[in-house]
Amino acid sequence: MGHDNSHDDVSSHVKTYLKIGVTLIVFTVITVAISFIDFGGNNNMIVGMAVATFKASLVCLIFMHLNHERPLIYKVLVFTVVLAIVLFTLFISAHGDPLKDEGFEAPAVPVKTATAHH
Amino acid sequence: MSAAATTHDDHHAHGGDHAHDHHEPSFLYKYIFSTDHKVIGVQYGIAGLLFLLFGFFLMMVMRWTIAYPGQPMPGLELVASLFGEWGTYQLEKWAPGGVVSPDLYNMFGAMHGTIMVFMGIVPLGFAAFGNFVMPLQIGAIDMAFPKLNAWSFWLFFIGGAMMMLSFFLPTGAAQTGWTNYSPLATTTHYIVKNTFMTGQTWWLLAMVFVISSSLLGSVNFITTLINLRAKGLTFMRLPFFCWAMLVTSFLLLLAFPPLEVAAILQVVDRVFGSSVFLPTGLVAGTNHFDISGGGNPLLYQHLFWFLAHPEVYVLILPAFAIISDIIPVNARRPLWGHKLMIYAALTLGFLSFIVWAHHMYLTGMGTMMSTYFQITTVMISVPSVILLTCLMISLWGGSIRFNSQMLFASAFLPMFGIGGLTGLPLAFAFIDLHLHDTYYVIGHFHYVVAPGTIFALFAGVYHWFPKITGRYMNDTLGKLHFWPSLIFMNVIFGPMLFQGIAGFHRRWYDGGAMAFKNTTQDYLWSNELISFGAWGLALAQIFFIVNVWISIKGGKKITSDNPWDATTLEWATPTPPPHGNFTFEPVVYRGPYEYNPPGTGREFIPSWEEPAGTPAPAPTEAKSHH
Amino acid sequence: MEIPYTVTARPDTGLWNAKIGVWLFLASEVMLFGGLFSSYIFLRLGADYHWPVHVLNVPWGFINTLVLIGSSVTVVMAWASLKMRKWGAYKVYMAITIACALAFLWIKKNEYTDKVHHIAVKTKDGTIIEGHFPDHGKHWINFDNVTSIKLSTRESDPEYFLESCTTPSPKFTTPAGKTVSLDDAGLASIREEAGKEPSIDLKAATPLTFKVNNSPFPPFNTIRSYNDSMLSFKDGTVINGKLTDYKMTLQVTRVDVRDVADRSKSQAWTLMGAGWKEAFEHHEHQKLEHAKEHNPEADPYKNPDFVRHALTMEVHTAKPDPSHHAPEGVGELLQSFKDTLFSHAEHNGPVITLDPKKDIAFWSNWLPKWNTYFAIYFTLTGLHGLHVLAGAIVLTWFLVVDTKRFKNDPEHLANRVETGGLFWHFVDLVWIFLFPLLYLL
Ligand code: HEM
Ligand SMILES: [Cu+2]
Repeated sequence: MGHDNSHDDVSSHVKTYLKIGVTLIVFTVITVAISFIDFGGNNNMIVGMAVATFKASLVCLIFMHLNHERPLIYKVLVFTVVLAIVLFTLFISAHGDPLKDEGFEAPAVPVKTATAHH
Repeated sequence: MSAAATTHDDHHAHGGDHAHDHHEPSFLYKYIFSTDHKVIGVQYGIAGLLFLLFGFFLMMVMRWTIAYPGQPMPGLELVASLFGEWGTYQLEKWAPGGVVSPDLYNMFGAMHGTIMVFMGIVPLGFAAFGNFVMPLQIGAIDMAFPKLNAWSFWLFFIGGAMMMLSFFLPTGAAQTGWTNYSPLATTTHYIVKNTFMTGQTWWLLAMVFVISSSLLGSVNFITTLINLRAKGLTFMRLPFFCWAMLVTSFLLLLAFPPLEVAAILQVVDRVFGSSVFLPTGLVAGTNHFDISGGGNPLLYQHLFWFLAHPEVYVLILPAFAIISDIIPVNARRPLWGHKLMIYAALTLGFLSFIVWAHHMYLTGMGTMMSTYFQITTVMISVPSVILLTCLMISLWGGSIRFNSQMLFASAFLPMFGIGGLTGLPLAFAFIDLHLHDTYYVIGHFHYVVAPGTIFALFAGVYHWFPKITGRYMNDTLGKLHFWPSLIFMNVIFGPMLFQGIAGFHRRWYDGGAMAFKNTTQDYLWSNELISFGAWGLALAQIFFIVNVWISIKGGKKITSDNPWDATTLEWATPTPPPHGNFTFEPVVYRGPYEYNPPGTGREFIPSWEEPAGTPAPAPTEAKSHH
Repeated sequence: MEIPYTVTARPDTGLWNAKIGVWLFLASEVMLFGGLFSSYIFLRLGADYHWPVHVLNVPWGFINTLVLIGSSVTVVMAWASLKMRKWGAYKVYMAITIACALAFLWIKKNEYTDKVHHIAVKTKDGTIIEGHFPDHGKHWINFDNVTSIKLSTRESDPEYFLESCTTPSPKFTTPAGKTVSLDDAGLASIREEAGKEPSIDLKAATPLTFKVNNSPFPPFNTIRSYNDSMLSFKDGTVINGKLTDYKMTLQVTRVDVRDVADRSKSQAWTLMGAGWKEAFEHHEHQKLEHAKEHNPEADPYKNPDFVRHALTMEVHTAKPDPSHHAPEGVGELLQSFKDTLFSHAEHNGPVITLDPKKDIAFWSNWLPKWNTYFAIYFTLTGLHGLHVLAGAIVLTWFLVVDTKRFKNDPEHLANRVETGGLFWHFVDLVWIFLFPLLYLL
């Protein structure tokens, strides 16, 4: 990274790295702790993923220097992240939107092992 | 300045002799483990052409049983006897009495698709032409990561070798189509002593190698295009060829990983007995599998098509790339709508990621999802039409040279057009209900890839052959190659469209003559017609093979480094280009398609030619530090 | 011939080549793990069984998270030290990073080994009983009185047959009346007689006994199918005889009756004894009381989290103890963490004996075969582990082999460490998502 070449610049970052490391550890403890509390429904998943996303963005922004990167890298990453989100959303929506038709969902011959569930 | 002025001798004065300040590597490192992008390009080219030929051989065996089901195939016993006892043993196993068995048909069908797509067209269009031409066209001395480039080729080689060797496993090669859908693909060759040593598993492992190869390749292509462009070569001055390669690289980079996931998960299912792609209660015949169930076959299809639709554009964009260079050179006209084409290719690239489930209308997708995918699919036809239209308009008012490459390039336009237009109906779920998995689909996509992409690849070979070898290919043989190819391609794939509408399904080893006779009997003759077309096409290729073979050593020598009077940078190098490519530091002063520029009185102006009186190169898009 | 911009940035893009390269590579990695995570979502949404929550070893997972975070800090410190040309500090930080990578892999290996030894059985009524084989041994099927054999001649060597036949040097008669043994010469004459046929019928001179490996791990399993009177191997060989005394002994650690229609009649209690039924009822009752206290209105059985706690029971002692209950509150939670980390309390549950044919619907160890959760768990963590290994190798290369570059071209080494570090951070980043998704939620 030609633009923060000077040694002073780097040494001023060192403290930040340590601070971020500690923050990450604290949030890991929080993740574990709240996973034992029942928030009901899907809320545990949402809270857990929110904390993980927060931690992940700290890693990206500070450790991976994405807080000051070249525009070209941003372009590539934005495109990639958009595609990853497309992947997630379309997979989930495809799963959530099966063809509905009278008698379509119930198999003609009930499958034995499936009867035990729900 | 005339065209002759561009021979390399004139440029010695401009810069140091980059090419000769290193010692000569040994033969092994010069031609086999070379890191030179041109050698790697040629390696990919040879490997790809051989795979293409092999895939075509498989298809000719299949076409025999489709046309004459149950009859022994002539010559099969002779070929088997060449391999002695082992050969007769294999013949008994796969084709008793010379009659192709359904299993063999399935195996050849699956491998035809796989080899053609992953080992033939992509390595040729993207890797061979991209590797050879792209760095030259941007004035680079090599790829950004030459060693990685060699790794790409050798990973591809390992993957290809595994595909080939899998034919010799006790189970034979994979048999479940190039799509390799679970649960069938998971449970084929499943209850065997060692699931590792089966064709199905090797197919997956080979794919992991091929995928890794394309990933490394695309990282290399993109980095090179971003960072190694010559002075003055701004993004908007990049030839469309390079843009198409850039978009293709991004498709490979981002679409292949989900297929890698699918392959890995299927390996886990096969080897460790898990059920990621296997539903609860799965029974096959009388076999009740000892599995947990709970997985989902549709997950495989989603992961597969997330790659495989963009893959279609990986097959076709390099073809557009080649054609977009050949048409301006031979029509002596600039490419019409260069910018428009760039934006169209970018749009195409993006949209290609969000249309995949149009291959899955029949899997019980809900109406909302189905509507979404129909809309995006119809949308993506717009940029495709833009690309094709721009190429056609570029011909307008040109004084066209009808040499071999231009013949192939001009035939590409209507052939690809047929392929594209026959795809439109398939975008609509309720029409696809009827046409899905029929020969209509086979006809449609083969129009795109066979008389489409393959014609473009042929055109590319005729066009860049002089740069590679210093000799022209024979134009008469080229024409003898072209005309029968054009005719037979249409004899093969035209009738398939009608067969499909009549109800002929794909993957029938008897061509519909037995089980579905009620549907097919009136049209069975067309199976024979198509098969004769395939054999005719095979004969036509002899002209090409002979032409390449004799032209390498005996073709007419070129007299200029720029034999076609072209404007792009690859023609500014010595012929063949040495290691390091350029004898001077190339600087680009103008756009890539300056043919008959109005008001100059010049027939063409090479993009590297210094303008009189303006020595300063055009500004690059430099940005100041922030 | 030098490729430009390997060390210094190209002015207009502001980037050197490897920096672009590594970010592109990471973009494809995003899609790779994106594909894996969306498979996880797909499988979880579509699961027709209870998706396991908190079943992995949370304390070790937690420690591994700390290890990776620590290494992320040290790798960026190593890079910063290089930038400041502090050679000694660089070496120390890099060494710590690599040590963390190895620690991570070592912990992961231990976790995997635990899973291999963990056996889960689904009985015919849907009860799930977990535990392990008391002798840690393989799992066998015994056959007796085997006289007629259909030997497959397709494989080069009837390996399964020879491995599992416990009668020493057996002799056979072939259909043509020859007497052979299964040594090289005997096999050659058998092959000759069989000709093109895929198999040949042999009669044993004396009845044989067999002990066949019935591993739940498919690559090691040798059996295609079996019943009371015959067993067919995966290589096509079939033996006819009598299945003897086929039993599975299991030391129980956990019982799950969520899928049993009437849990008071679960097969678990017939197998483990009525005392455990009482202990379970007490356990369920306690949970219910607790839930009612918090929210008297709601029906706790509509809450999957409650059902998971109330209808599954950890079994820590050989004797039923009605007062036993799962940890509650911070203090007990920490205590149970300590237990799972440092002791093997689970090695003294009750031992039960199952009849595989009568009692068991499906069984496996905690490997991909058991359910799609473990399939995706092993795939995700396995691939992540390979990334850790690859990262460790690359970083070791920089530390050990690439030392000359520090003197000749330190900026280039710093660039290389930066690219390696970017990869390393990405590996950490993936784990940040993997840990909660697989261990906690
Ligand atoms: C030029 C000569 C070619 C001929 C005569 C030909 C012919 C055929 C035919 C008849 C089928 C249908 C087989 C069946 O459904 O049982 C087929 C399938 C296929 N072909 Fe070709 N093909 C040619 C070239 C190509 C090329 C260049 C590609 C490259 C992309 C290709 C890719 C495929 C694929 C992917 C399938 C589907 C395989 C499957 O069912 O899994 N073919 N081909
Ligand atoms: Cu598609």
